Amino acid sequence: MGGHFRLLLQVAFRNLFTSKINLLIGGIIFLGTLLVVVGGALLDSMDSAMSRSIIGSVAGHLQVYSDESRDELGLFGTMGGEPDLAAVDDFSRIKPVLEKHPNVKTVVPMGTNGALITSGNTVDLTLARLRDLYKKRAEAGETPALRENIDSLKAHVRQMVALMEEELAKSRELLSDAARTPEERESLTRARSEVFWDGFEADPFGSLEFLENRIAPQIPDGDLLYLRYAGTDLDTFQSTFDRMEVVDGQPVPKGQRGMLLSKFFYEEYLKLKTARRLDLIKQERELNKKTIATDPQLQRWVKENQTQTREIVYQLDPIKTRQAVERLQKLLGSQEPKLEKLLSSFLTTDDANFDARYTQFYAELAPLLELYRLRLGDSLTITAFTRSGYVQSVNVKVYGTYQFKGLEKSALAGALNLMDLMSFRDLYGYLTADKKAELAELQKQSGVKAVAREGAEDALFGEDSGNTLVADATPGLINDQDTLTGAMDSLRRDDLTKRVYSQEEINQGVVLSSAIILKDPEQLQQTMAELKQSTQDAGLKLRVVSWQQAAGLIGQFVLMAKLVLYAAVFIIFVVVLVIINNAMMMATLQRVREVGTMRAIGAQRSFVLGMVLVETLLLGLVFGAGGALVGSGIMAGLGSVGIPAANEALYFFFSGPRLYPSLSAGNLIAAFIIVMVVSAISTLYPAFLATRVSPLQAMQTDE
Amino acid sequence: MNATPKSPIVSITNVTKDYTLGKVVVPALRGVDLQVHAGEFISIAGPSGSGKTTLLNLIGCVDTSTTGVVSVAGQDTQKLSERQLTDLRLHTIGFIFQSFNLVSVLTVFQNVEFPLLLQRKLDKAQRKERVMQLLEQVGLANHAKHRPNELSGGQRQRVAVARALVTRPQLVLADEPTANLDSVTGQHIIDLMKELNQKEGTTFIFSTHDAKVMSHANAVWRLADGKILDRLTADEAQRALAVGSH
Repeated sequence: MGGHFRLLLQVAFRNLFTSKINLLIGGIIFLGTLLVVVGGALLDSMDSAMSRSIIGSVAGHLQVYSDESRDELGLFGTMGGEPDLAAVDDFSRIKPVLEKHPNVKTVVPMGTNGALITSGNTVDLTLARLRDLYKKRAEAGETPALRENIDSLKAHVRQMVALMEEELAKSRELLSDAARTPEERESLTRARSEVFWDGFEADPFGSLEFLENRIAPQIPDGDLLYLRYAGTDLDTFQSTFDRMEVVDGQPVPKGQRGMLLSKFFYEEYLKLKTARRLDLIKQERELNKKTIATDPQLQRWVKENQTQTREIVYQLDPIKTRQAVERLQKLLGSQEPKLEKLLSSFLTTDDANFDARYTQFYAELAPLLELYRLRLGDSLTITAFTRSGYVQSVNVKVYGTYQFKGLEKSALAGALNLMDLMSFRDLYGYLTADKKAELAELQKQSGVKAVAREGAEDALFGEDSGNTLVADATPGLINDQDTLTGAMDSLRRDDLTKRVYSQEEINQGVVLSSAIILKDPEQLQQTMAELKQSTQDAGLKLRVVSWQQAAGLIGQFVLMAKLVLYAAVFIIFVVVLVIINNAMMMATLQRVREVGTMRAIGAQRSFVLGMVLVETLLLGLVFGAGGALVGSGIMAGLGSVGIPAANEALYFFFSGPRLYPSLSAGNLIAAFIIVMVVSAISTLYPAFLATRVSPLQAMQTDE
Repeated sequence: MNATPKSPIVSITNVTKDYTLGKVVVPALRGVDLQVHAGEFISIAGPSGSGKTTLLNLIGCVDTSTTGVVSVAGQDTQKLSERQLTDLRLHTIGFIFQSFNLVSVLTVFQNVEFPLLLQRKLDKAQRKERVMQLLEQVGLANHAKHRPNELSGGQRQRVAVARALVTRPQLVLADEPTANLDSVTGQHIIDLMKELNQKEGTTFIFSTHDAKVMSHANAVWRLADGKILDRLTADEAQRALAVGSH
């Protein structure tokens, strides 16, 4: 028996390396196994990395939300915007029920929503500041300092209008005039006229209104930003999601209202674009070793910096413009009097001068500029429309920026800004006693006009008016001048900002969902089922979902990727099956005489069958093992070096700047089984054919 | 050796064999009767198409007759299953092929050992002894570890002879064993077969159209058109052929 099998093995093994067809089949099996091992391991690693990202950033292990919700929870947003969730009326009722489960560590209340922020363009922002100064004068009387500020801003506005006219003249040369209507040109001419500015002081508010309505809209650089925020119990959130860290500024003081902006969001959308592009170029050069000379993306950024200097030019008032011109002339050794041209040539960077220019930009130019549209410590007014169309407006102080460790560059994790739960509840339209008082105050302050303007925006975004929030960022872009730190400022922020809420107050009230952190994540499924039961028993109508479901589309991503991989593997192996089948048929035909001889000498059909099967299985084993070995080697290499996240989206899936994949025994076993099964199946028919070879065929001569 | 000298090893009675080529039935044998006794050294002669190979196939149990009885080692092959026929070949018959038909991926030793492994009668040491004994007899003991493609045609056929005899079969069939060899080498092979026939008492039946080869046989059966023309002694055959060809 042993000799018999040994013979089979010997014949098979010898055939393995003598037949070219076998080498071909072996090569295919090798590649197939490699693919299964490497692909499977990569996706598994990505799956677990992404689950760390999702769980660690906002989802927790489980999420609960109201069973009366129309949509399903989608913490990272869904296709149609924010999901329509019914509110859970009282967090303090569900918390104890959930916390009773032995595997539940923490329950974090939350709710996500989004608002549009019109940050306003540079003209808007400067006019708003001017308006504030005039208001201040109207209330408190004129001081020399105030006068000086007003004049400075007025000069700034006049300079901007001059720049706009210059641009208009330029565009006339280049393009047809159709871009601007006659009214627009007329307004611009009026704003340029001495008559207008001479009459300015006589009716400052009327003049400002003219500028706001007729001139500011002609500059298209105002961004409409979508601000996603999660309202949550900030203290619990921070202690629960330990990947979260405050980067700039400070955490929101315990129990107080306030916001933490995502560092990613802050840099990406609120920073001066020129500065942001310089940062990006620096990052790509240093981290990814790209060069301006070779990389088209970097070249594009340089080009944009060269041409899009307006953002800087508009921002500077005449005094600062002069300072900037002087500094740039000195840096460049140039006599050029125009700031625009100086900036353009200063920002014409290449690999040789980039580092110096970067340093010079931050040392010389940045102090003259507002680098961010919103400064930490400033307030953001977020205006929301409730379902009934009622305007809710909340002032939230932005205390700082935060990030999740490892997910710094992820746009997905970075899209979420954090807000205290009390402000969130206000915005969502649930009135508290505090809120009612605040509303009365607000109505007193903001005239009818402001509301009318919001109403217009509502009509503009009316298609989704039910749940859309439109937020107006108040000028946080206030100069470091002390103008607004006084009485006006505190009035604007109102007393609510300083109020400290007790944990009880935070807990009592509406939430949209709650994140549950488990002690033992391994028992997620079981705990989920048990929580479903216990909440039902307690009469709470809640849905309990895993982080994967809670994450919406993102959660399905790896599953989809896996399906795609397995489909690809399946197709490859179907092809492999056909190829092996054909190749084995050819091999069998080539060996008809050999098989015939064996049969004539006295080999039974079963022997022939065994021979072919053993041969293919050995083939699968040897080359499959080779593929698995090389695959393991690759994975070991990747595991120690890590795969760099080439773009920002990958940071989330990699849960950091690099993915360190690992190979599990499961991957290897799966690959092994697939290869063996495919080899065996693909040989069945050729093996059957081989058994049909007649011993007569041994007698045939070579001819 | 085990067979009693009196009962024939091969007994063929009124055997016909038809091949069907499409719709045409081609008769290959048209009523053959013969008997072969143990220890005989018989040559089958005849022009191509005369039915030599068909006859050998029937005796070798790799094919069955259309009518008539083919009995090998006392068993009616018509009544045996495919499996039993295979067993009969394994234990009773040795084959030597015109094109040697060695398994190219196995060594000389493994090729000769092959039937013994199929038989599963001997253990490893016994097999080795038997194989080496045969290789010495055919003069290839030094080539045991060679592959067939490292050997000359004559050497390969000697390996094939050793393989055919390693199981001590009662009967060895050889279809044109010298056709692919030059005359000197062919002569050596026939000498070797003759030697083994005399030393071991193995019965040999071989087909050939070479008069020199025929001359070694005890008897020559001449076939023509699927019938046995005559049975001659070696000398008679040579004379008859000499007449025929000149």
